[in-house]
Formats: sequence, structure tokens, C-alpha cells
Amino acid sequence: MAEDLVLDTAIRDWVLIPLSVVMVLIGVLRYFVSKLMRSSPTPDAKIVKEGQVVIRARNLKAGANFIPPKSFRARRFYFSNEENGLLHVPKDQAQNPQAQMFSDPNMAMDMMKKNLSMIIPQTLTYAWVNFFFSGFVAAKIPFPLTQRFRSMLQNGIDLSTVDVSYVSSRSWYFLNLFGLRGLFSLILGDENAIDDTQRMMQMGGGFGFDASKSLGAEKDGLDIIQHEWALPGFEHRAESVLRKLVQ
Amino acid sequence: MVTKTEERELNQLENQVENGGGGVWEYLCLVRKLKVRRSEMVLKHGLSILNDPGKRSSLGPDEWTLYEQVAVAAMDCQSLAVAQNCIKVLQKKFPESKRVGKLEALLIEAKGMWEEAEKAYSILLEDNPLDQVIHKRKVAMAKAQGKPSLAIERLNKYLEVFMADHDAWRELAEIYVSLQMYKQAAFCYEELILSQPTLPLYHLAYADILYTIGGLENLIAARKYYAATIDLTGGKSTRALLGICLCGSAIAQLSRGRNKEDKDMAAPELQSLAATALEKEYKQKAPAKLNLLTSALRSLKMS
Repeated sequence: MAEDLVLDTAIRDWVLIPLSVVMVLIGVLRYFVSKLMRSSPTPDAKIVKEGQVVIRARNLKAGANFIPPKSFRARRFYFSNEENGLLHVPKDQAQNPQAQMFSDPNMAMDMMKKNLSMIIPQTLTYAWVNFFFSGFVAAKIPFPLTQRFRSMLQNGIDLSTVDVSYVSSRSWYFLNLFGLRGLFSLILGDENAIDDTQRMMQMGGGFGFDASKSLGAEKDGLDIIQHEWALPGFEHRAESVLRKLVQ
Repeated sequence: MVTKTEERELNQLENQVENGGGGVWEYLCLVRKLKVRRSEMVLKHGLSILNDPGKRSSLGPDEWTLYEQVAVAAMDCQSLAVAQNCIKVLQKKFPESKRVGKLEALLIEAKGMWEEAEKAYSILLEDNPLDQVIHKRKVAMAKAQGKPSLAIERLNKYLEVFMADHDAWRELAEIYVSLQMYKQAAFCYEELILSQPTLPLYHLAYADILYTIGGLENLIAARKYYAATIDLTGGKSTRALLGICLCGSAIAQLSRGRNKEDKDMAAPELQSLAATALEKEYKQKAPAKLNLLTSALRSLKMS
């Protein structure tokens, strides 16, 4: 069915543009509200220390070949020995991050605030779009699609013969939702590109700094390393450098 | 560390500002961003902006950051009255601020009233026990009062929590060297090499320490690190070249008895090449001292 429907330009003026403008405004509003509501995080000493330990362990892995073998072994022992190595997490302590998250009231409040600030405007806007802008064809997607997308993109349109490329305004809403992320990072500065999609992905698994897992990962990484002292190679290179210099 | 482009830009702006062109505000912002220590310039030009009400109001909310920057620069140049004025202005605007509290404590420290400064810092630390700047100020105070062991103790405690802070490791290494605790200093320099293995400065310092501790194994390692420095600087480090010659002669002296051991002659010509490179450099830069150099090198080869 390759008929060409002519869409009224009034649709463009009164549907597409206002919807985009409203979404941009809501995003900006949300940014400022979240800035106001954001409580400055009081970092926990233990978490800070673990973060730094991870950085130091990573440096050790990266630069292992530049220090003498004895020092490397001493450091590796310091990090990963069984009794009091920094990276060694005894099994019972590897807590479930979810449980820890809910037991800490501050963190729970923070997460709730973040979620609310994201969910409420989304829900409201979606309901508004559905109420006002349903039941007509809003736009035509420039590339052909299969029939599978019909239920997703053409909710309000009850004609099954219309080409799937003609979509309802709901799909325009979703398009804006995902697409305006780049625009927000331009207007609002890089600090708070409202990345709803990223946050949605983050909400699924754990939360924040998953300490025990990263420590365990670093420990494994350190145990694997074979130390190969790179310094003797430097002597050769220095020789050639000097030879060139003296020539 | 500051990159080359940033350094060039900074020098360019500095020249421009010194010679009366505009760009003072950009210069001050760049200094603040790169955290370099140009206190005299900052003080002179910052004050010129602050004392001119027209320019000051054109800054808008950045005015307060400038006050803070000028206050710290004034304390560094020991013009405490200027610092006091800046802090008073900030206090009026932000009465209960922790940031201004830090500046006040810094001023007390600058005046040399150690106990009160300690008390002020402890109060600030109670509010925020993880504030890196305040911990470092306490270490600096201990150092300024001439109590290096106290400074070492505080630095160690700081590094237990913030162990990825390479500036702190560097400071600790220097204090250890000043107290001649070379083994601990070597440990610190190893940490530094691990965090930034391409920086020749750390290899050079580590090699110096290994050479100072002495012993055949350490001398061999020192030679390797001097070679690393030469490689990383493209042969331009005079100190490393001299280091190689000294190491070579020291190793030869120590291993005179046991020739069969691995003298580790991985790069046998290194020493003579280093000597030649040194002579070339002296010829270029300090021809008057060339005689001193050749006689020193000759005596090294003899022993």
C-alpha cells in the first residue's frame, strides 16, 4: 500500500512543534528543580577509602613493570593477602548492595527523589499527549517499516490499511524523549544532560559504587599479573638515544 | 600536571597581561583552573580588578571567587592586611560558610598562631572529616613548625584513606629524604612511578635514592633508572648522564673482586656514550667548565 497521504500543515504547526517545545521546557524545569532539591552527598569514609584503594590497585597493575620485582611482590602481597589484604573481602561481608541501599535512609531518599523527578513529568506528559493528540496521523517516517511496528507507532489510528510509516503523535513523543538528550547537554551544559535512558538502565541493576565486586575484580586482576621488569630494555634504548645524540 | 598547550597559553596570557594588554580575567581563570602558583601576579592584577568598582560589578557572581583567589594569593605573598579585607568582605556576604571558614583558618595559620589554627582546623574537620584540603593544611603546619616527624605521621594517616593522591606521596618522599630515611622515600617514589610511569622526574629521583642507599644491587637498579630517564627525556637530562657515569664507576669499584658475577653489562657502551654526550653538552652550554668535567670523568674512569 504505497499511497501518499497529504498531511495538513496545521498538524505540523499545532502538534509537532508545540510538543517538542513543551518537552524542552519541561526538561529545563526539571533540571532546575533537581538542582534545588539535590542534597550535597556526605561521602562515607569507608567508600572513599575503597575508591582510592581501587585506583591505587589499578595503578599497580598498569605500572607493574616499572618497579623492581621485589617491590612489586611486596605490594601485591599487601593488596591481596588472605588475612588483612586491602582488596580481600571476606565472604560474609560481601553485602547485598540493595539491602545496604535501603538500610541507609539518606541514600533511599536520594534515589526516591531522583526517581520521582523523572517519573512524574514523564507520566504527566504522556497522559497529556494521549488525551489531546490521539486519533490522527501526525507524521510520516521517511523510511519504510514492517507491519510489526503498527501496534507501537499507530495507537490511536484504527485503520489497518494505513502505511506503517504514518505514525501517531505518541511516537513523536517517544522520539523527542530519546532525542532531546543531546539538545539538553548543549543548553544546560555537560553537567546535567538529563539522561533518562541512562538512569532507566541504571535503575535495574545495583546502585552506586558496588564496592565488594570491584575490589574482588581488582584482586583477581592483580593475581594474574606476571611481573616482567621493563627497565633492562630501557638501558638499550638509552644507549641508542645517546648514540644518536652524540653522532 | 599541566600540559604543554596549557603551559604555552598560560605564558602567553601572562606576557599579555604584564605588558598592559587586556585579558586579565582570562588569565586569572586559567590560573585558577590549572591550580598553578602565581601569587604575585594574581595579587597585583586581581586587586586592580577588585578596587575598580566598574570592573568588579561586571564580574557578577564570579566576584566572590575572585575575592577568594586574591585572599589566598595575598596570604602567599604575606600581605595579610589585604587578605583580611578580602575575607571580611566574603564573611559579610556568606556569614555561615564553611569555605569562608577555611579561609579564616588559613589566615590564622599565615599569621603564625599555630595553636589557634590547629583548633580552627579541628573544628572544620569535625564538620567534614573527609576534607582533603584541611588535612593537607595540618601537614603543612607541622612542617612549617619544624616538626617533620609529626608531619610524617599526619601524612601517613592521610594517605591511608586517600592513597591515590600522588601529590601527597611526593611530599612524603621529600620529607623522608630530608630526614635521610631513604628506604621509605624509595617506597614513595615507587608509588609515584606506578601512578605516572612516563614522567622522567620520578625515575630520576628514584635513581638518586637508590644510588644514595648504595649496595651493588641498588647501584645496578639505579643505573637502569638513570637510563630510563635518559630515554624519557631524549638524552637531555644532565643529571641522569652524570648519574650513569657515577653508577658505572661505583659498580666497577664494588665488583672488582667478583668479576664472574653478572656485572649486568646489558648496555656496555652506555657509560662511554654518556660521557661523550656530557662533554658535548658542556661544550655547548658551559665551555668554561669543560676542563672540570673532563678531569672529573677521567678520575672516575681511573677508580
